[in-house]
Amino acid sequence: MYVKIESLQFGYVKDEQVINDVSLSMKEGEIVAILGSSGSGKSTLLRILSGLEMPNKGEIVINEETLCATQVYIEAEKREVGMVFQDYALFPHMNVEKNIAFGLSRLPKSCRKARVKEMLELVSMEEKIDAYPHELSGGQQQRIALARALAPKPSILLLDEPFSNLDTDLKLKIRQELKMIIKKTHMTSIFVTHDYEDAHDIADRIIYLENGRIVDEIVMEHNQQNTQ
Amino acid sequence: MLRRIKSKLNLFTVTSIIAGLLIIIPLLNIFVELTAPASDAWIHIRTYLLGRYLRNTFVLIFYVSILSASLGFFAAYVITRYEFKGRKLLSWMLILPLAVPSYIMAYVYGDMTSYSGTVSRFFRSIGYDGYINVMTMQGAVIIFTLTLYPYVYMMVRSALQKQSASFIESARLLGASKWKVFWRVVLPLARPALVAGTLLVVLETLNDYGLVEYFNVQVFSFAIFNAWFSFGDVISAIRLSAILMLIVFGIVFLERAIRGRRRYNLHSKTRPVERVELKNSQKIYPVLLWMVLAFGFVIPVLQLLWFTRFANNTLFNIEMMYLIVNSISIAVFATFIIVVIAIMLANFNRGRASSFKKSWLKITNLGYAIPGAVLAIAVHMFFIDLDHMFYPLYRFVNPETGRLVLSLSLSMLVFAYVLRFMAIGYNSIEASYDKIGESFTEAAYALKSSKIKTLWTIDLPLIKTGLLSAAIIVFIDIIKELPLTLILRPTNYNTMATIVHEYASDEMLIEASIPALVLIAVASLMIYILTHAKQKRGAANVRKN
Repeated sequence: MYVKIESLQFGYVKDEQVINDVSLSMKEGEIVAILGSSGSGKSTLLRILSGLEMPNKGEIVINEETLCATQVYIEAEKREVGMVFQDYALFPHMNVEKNIAFGLSRLPKSCRKARVKEMLELVSMEEKIDAYPHELSGGQQQRIALARALAPKPSILLLDEPFSNLDTDLKLKIRQELKMIIKKTHMTSIFVTHDYEDAHDIADRIIYLENGRIVDEIVMEHNQQNTQ
Repeated sequence: MLRRIKSKLNLFTVTSIIAGLLIIIPLLNIFVELTAPASDAWIHIRTYLLGRYLRNTFVLIFYVSILSASLGFFAAYVITRYEFKGRKLLSWMLILPLAVPSYIMAYVYGDMTSYSGTVSRFFRSIGYDGYINVMTMQGAVIIFTLTLYPYVYMMVRSALQKQSASFIESARLLGASKWKVFWRVVLPLARPALVAGTLLVVLETLNDYGLVEYFNVQVFSFAIFNAWFSFGDVISAIRLSAILMLIVFGIVFLERAIRGRRRYNLHSKTRPVERVELKNSQKIYPVLLWMVLAFGFVIPVLQLLWFTRFANNTLFNIEMMYLIVNSISIAVFATFIIVVIAIMLANFNRGRASSFKKSWLKITNLGYAIPGAVLAIAVHMFFIDLDHMFYPLYRFVNPETGRLVLSLSLSMLVFAYVLRFMAIGYNSIEASYDKIGESFTEAAYALKSSKIKTLWTIDLPLIKTGLLSAAIIVFIDIIKELPLTLILRPTNYNTMATIVHEYASDEMLIEASIPALVLIAVASLMIYILTHAKQKRGAANVRKN
């Protein structure tokens, strides 16, 4: 298995479990949607996977690298996990090029430029390379946030409520685009949502989370067939 | 066209237009006077002194701004990002040095480090015969930094509190180290607050007269006073003022130009950054902050308290009570006028935005950017012109009247205070209006409530905490104000600030200690009310959410 999560437990305060014994496995290139109402622990699960929160117990292995176990804990900045935040978190003082290049500082300058260009082509936003985030629409900001998260070639992509800031018409369009881009890059992805339509349209598998526990799981065969 | 003008003509618009005109006219006077032929004094100043004034001014503001920005940022960062014992107390106490006017701190440290002062005596008692001279450019830089860094601290603290955690988390997930996150994300995002706070520090430094005069640091405000009172040449003072104004506007313009198209806030969904415990190597941070507070507030206050032991019968006498009443009553009166006009201006600003409104409001808030000495000249000339204009009226009321009436009265000083501190009151009130939005007011208008009734029953109760903040900040500034008061007060009229300056200039620090302490106590009390009223409001907001 490409992603292996075993018996994860987490609580912000003692004796109050937000994530309760969650286990999950994923194949490489699979898209999993975590569906749940607010307060179900779905965003917390993403924060644990990304390394922004440390679980009380459990194990996380991605691409044969143990990120978290009893004696192991790899910090967020060393995990190679890409994340698209609910509010996109594009740095407002940097233009599109600098935002995307932010995670590429280990590459030589020429490679960095090429990778930024490649990412902009992927999300069809080449002409916005010099724009600042406030000069972009909500949908464009989301695409840049996606390009920024994918640029350092992360081992997994996490998306936190990626459509919650978009109006209905735009959401339908962006949903298809997002699915296409993720499939094109063959990126293993987990996204959390409270909207069944989002999960139904994009995910290969939907996992239902309630009070920090996985209560159900559905395989979306139509999406899996589409990509095969 | 006529219908449009008529629909916009209301109390708020008319007051705002008049307020703007009353600010523009005196300032234009300064530039008109520049066309007058150069006097001998001006030729002397330009040939021998101007270079030194320029160099000293730049050196002073360069170092003061760098040190205040660093200290203010450091304090704000430690308070907002780390958890430690005494953090809450330190959080508001770090603002207290603002209650100590820089000229009072200069007198105290000047005396403490003199041959017979506390520090020198202490050095001699431990066998060290050295001597620290603070009455230099370096001393001035340190004292300005200690008294003015709270401007940067307050603004950056507020910006860091509002900074969304998702920016930092996002940077970390992109592989950035803690240093990179700090230099590339945290610091640049706090830049507008850092620059705005530092700009206030620069403006206050350029405005000061008491400290630079006492330390004989020959900068522009010193030069303007010197030209006017030593050379007796108002025109030269005006020329120097015009140069100083150009420097100030140059600095403001440069900042805007550097900022360019960049923005520093993008979305309103803010998840605050959580504070972390200090690591062992970081435990020195709170100690450093307590030391700043000690040098910026505790030590000068203790020294002043020590002086009062020798001030036996000059303690609270009638004259002192008179001074306190004078200072407080004029400050309250001017504050009231500023708050009323600022409410009118803020209402004028509401509704549809227009470039005329924007520019006009910028003009009405120009006063704070203009150093006291410059403003004093402008207001003085304006009032003399008014006296000439109204002379027939004075004669009509009292045939034996002199030519100068308004310019010899307290109204000139109040007018100057209003001009100088309008921006402080306006910005605070405007921010409160911004927070409540316009829907409540529009709902009241839809229910056929008049503009005045809506203002009184809806708007003012909703922004009352903002009004209190505006009034307190303006009050503190006025009660500390020195250069304007020195130049524009009527003969024999004193405030606590002017009497402290007079005694200190005559090396009578013991006599100066009581009014100085009263001034610091009043300002400190106001800071306490301000910070605690805000905290309470913050708590109320949390409960509501």
